[in-house]
Amino acid sequence: MAEIVLEHVTKVFGGGVVAVNDLSLEIRDGEFMVLVGPSGCGKSTILRIIAGLEEVTAGEVRIGGRQVTDLSPRERDVAMVFQNYALYPHMTVEQNLGFGLRLRRMPKEEIRRRVTEVARILGLEELLPRKPAALSGGQRQRVAMGRAMVREPVAFLMDEPLSNLDAKLRVQMRAQLAQLHDRLGTTTVYVTHDQVEAMTLGERVAVLRDGVLQQVATPQDLYAHPANLFVAAFIGSPPMNLVEATVRHGTVAFGGLELPLPPGVDLSAYEGRTVILGIRPADMEDAEVWPDPSRPEIEVTVEVTEDLGSEVNVLFGVDAPPVAVEETAAAAEETFLLGEARSIFCARVDARTRARPGGRVRLSVDPTRFHFFDPATGAALPGRAEPSAA
Amino acid sequence: MTGISRRQVVANYAILIAFSAIAIYPIAGVILASLYPRGTNPSGFSLPPSWNFGNLATAWTEGQFGMYVRSSVIVATVVVIVSTVLSILGGYALGTMRFRGATTVFYLFLLGMIIPFEAIVVPLYYDLRALRMIDTYWALILPEISGSVAFGVFWMRAFFLSAPRSLIEAARIDGASSWHILWRVLVPLGRPAILTLVVLTFAGSWNEFFLPLVMTTDPKYITVPQGLSLFSGRYTTDTPLLAAGAVIVMLPVLVVYVFTQREFIRGMLSGALKG
Repeated sequence: MAEIVLEHVTKVFGGGVVAVNDLSLEIRDGEFMVLVGPSGCGKSTILRIIAGLEEVTAGEVRIGGRQVTDLSPRERDVAMVFQNYALYPHMTVEQNLGFGLRLRRMPKEEIRRRVTEVARILGLEELLPRKPAALSGGQRQRVAMGRAMVREPVAFLMDEPLSNLDAKLRVQMRAQLAQLHDRLGTTTVYVTHDQVEAMTLGERVAVLRDGVLQQVATPQDLYAHPANLFVAAFIGSPPMNLVEATVRHGTVAFGGLELPLPPGVDLSAYEGRTVILGIRPADMEDAEVWPDPSRPEIEVTVEVTEDLGSEVNVLFGVDAPPVAVEETAAAAEETFLLGEARSIFCARVDARTRARPGGRVRLSVDPTRFHFFDPATGAALPGRAEPSAA
Repeated sequence: MTGISRRQVVANYAILIAFSAIAIYPIAGVILASLYPRGTNPSGFSLPPSWNFGNLATAWTEGQFGMYVRSSVIVATVVVIVSTVLSILGGYALGTMRFRGATTVFYLFLLGMIIPFEAIVVPLYYDLRALRMIDTYWALILPEISGSVAFGVFWMRAFFLSAPRSLIEAARIDGASSWHILWRVLVPLGRPAILTLVVLTFAGSWNEFFLPLVMTTDPKYITVPQGLSLFSGRYTTDTPLLAAGAVIVMLPVLVVYVFTQREFIRGMLSGALKG
């Protein structure tokens, strides 16, 4: 077990592509750290740098206090789980699990003991004599996990290990991974593009974009206090509603709607100017179902409802231009193309709502959970009641 | 066979049978001719009046094929083993490692594939004579190795390039050295490709005619193709006996192919189909 420290790591590939740009990150001993970001953000490259599969262009890597920047993968004593599992096809499950131990010339008895133990934990006992070709996707995934565990390495590195599984199995394996980490307590670095995986698995999550670290925080903190527009738009599903709004005498106004600024928020520096306002879908509620006189309300025309059973997504138009910042374009996995001058907002409301497409609905909003961003830099604006703990 | 109509199936078989016939006809013709009574003149593709398996034995002793086969086996075995090992090592380096000059080296190997022995045989003869290797097995083994390593490296490089990169990386992280990755992960995986190379190299060495013709005069070192040529010079009129000699020469290659054909076909198709 060990902490992993990346210090000012830069990786430039041939052709001048900067995959990782001056990244510093400390992963604590025993921590489950998730690296998340859209494809091409450098998260896999970082993992491969920690593993020793890629050399750094600049900066250094330390594992357990040991300088490993120039060491080969086998000298680093880390284990990796690959997206496509990378099991040795000509070996049985047992041989796959024991391969790394045999290479280390471990006594046969000890190898057998460890393989049996790991097979028991992962429920692979029955499969030991089989070859990978005779295994299902979920079984292969577990063997890949087992191959990492059996070595008892100082850290696990996982590169989208669940992305080749179907949705149901992925949820199961996700839970198993979390349990396993609780049990083993091994430092784990986990790469994913799936923010749900990131939020559910990570003790801390590092959000990356174009090789630059955006924010490292607990999932709750990322959700509640995104450091910038990119993190705000990337974390949370459905994504945060973002709109350009004008600050005027203690209110924010956008698309004919006006809402009070939350108490304690000081945007006086932006008086009369435009900021970007972010409201999470879950921070709006049907005022008929949950009347709350303390909360301001807006009345809107429903365009689409998505009934998820436990709650309903209410989509409505706002007569304000959508935030066309590059940040959101990069982060949003699905963009709504419903006219340029209008934004589409989503509110996640109680399933008992009577909102129907074409009808009007009154939504109460929670100004204390508003997010504000500088339209020029995308940085979260200070003046919040609780300062962001980035 | 879903999606393929009956007519297409029939057409497929017709075409395949036609091509098989073209390939098999001369082989079957020679085998049939070798079974005719000695001194007769078998014409065309007909069954012999009696089955004279004795021709094979006669040809074997009269043509001194025992000696020639011995030479051929020695040469082919050494060539196959050494050039396969060298091809695996060379292909591994060129297929999986990045190093300065890799491309140049690869093109040099390609050049080796393109230049025929005929073009270099005269200087080669003088070189080998200077090294006192004429009329030794080395005069056959060394040039044949260099000739087959060119194709072998090209062939194995293609295999190593197609091997999943993550498998190599998984082995590296498991603690395997380059050497271990090659012999314990990639070579077992590359059995079909390697066996194909073995068959092709073996056939190439076994059938090599020109090089032994130039490099050997001592009958002790003569290999079977040239032995057959000497044999046919002596028995120009005895077609069944000549055919029997030809059967002796081609039999080993056929046997090797039959025993490895399943892997051979897999090797030929590797990379063509997604596993």
